Amino acid sequence: MGEGLRAAWPIALGYFPVAVAFGALGAQAGLGYLWIQLTSLLVFAGASQFALVGLLAQGVPPLLAASLGLLLNLRHAFYGPALRPYLKGGPLEAFFLTDEVFALALRTLPGLSPEKRRGYFLGLALGAYLSWNLGTALGALGAKGLLAWPRLGEALAFALPALFLLLALPHLRNPAALLAGGMALGFHLLGQTAWGLFLAGVVGLLWKEPWKGRKA
Amino acid sequence: MTLALLLLALGTFLLRFLPWRGEKSLKTGQAGPALVVALFLVSAFSPPPSSEWVRAALALLGTYLGLRLTGNLGVAVFLGAGLYGLLGALGF
Repeated sequence: MGEGLRAAWPIALGYFPVAVAFGALGAQAGLGYLWIQLTSLLVFAGASQFALVGLLAQGVPPLLAASLGLLLNLRHAFYGPALRPYLKGGPLEAFFLTDEVFALALRTLPGLSPEKRRGYFLGLALGAYLSWNLGTALGALGAKGLLAWPRLGEALAFALPALFLLLALPHLRNPAALLAGGMALGFHLLGQTAWGLFLAGVVGLLWKEPWKGRKA
Repeated sequence: MTLALLLLALGTFLLRFLPWRGEKSLKTGQAGPALVVALFLVSAFSPPPSSEWVRAALALLGTYLGLRLTGNLGVAVFLGAGLYGLLGALGF
């Protein structure tokens, strides 16, 4: 588990400022600290948490807000099956399966011996989870000023695209990945990011032709 | 409101868990690589297209070079994030 925990720091670096912003948003919306923290503890899915809090703050009925949040998470259904060749999914593993944990696990698990994979994955997940929840707590308790230092918050948040770039490198000549990525970017630019990511998963799922690329 | 939170938590968990459980292997084609590339593109480039993209592209180039020079994923990410902040401070 220690190896996974150490490997989690790029994710933790990126999660922290986003989680602080989430905590601060919840506090500004008048939500209690306990409720905000419970959201991060139980949901652990950034975009849908922002959507839930934002929609509730606008007066959207709670069940509708939760349903819209769930729509944002539809893409998560593709992650487990993509990891299955390397790791059997139990409830604990599934709980921690965020975008970033999935992408990093997909890169690293194939290179590990089968008996090491679960511990590595859980270490990775734990590092991400701790960062997300610590950031939420600090943001909700009024520590948004932590990120007031010029450019610090946005620089830390850029750790996530930087990490995704490095994880995407081995796939940048894969035609299925390029098509799916282009489609997702197109939807993203139209303001439909969640649908774009979901459709990218569908395109990848339907693309049966294997691709024998070299590792970057 | 708490019910909404619990519904979102349970639904998210089931979306992650149900397709992954069990022994039977599901053919996922190229879903993994497709999603990783899609996640990269949507996280790096915010709509609408703007000069901000130049800053992001330069910082991503720095990230890539960081990986080539150090071979360490974490260090490269740190360099990319630092470069992104520096470029912002310089007015990009």
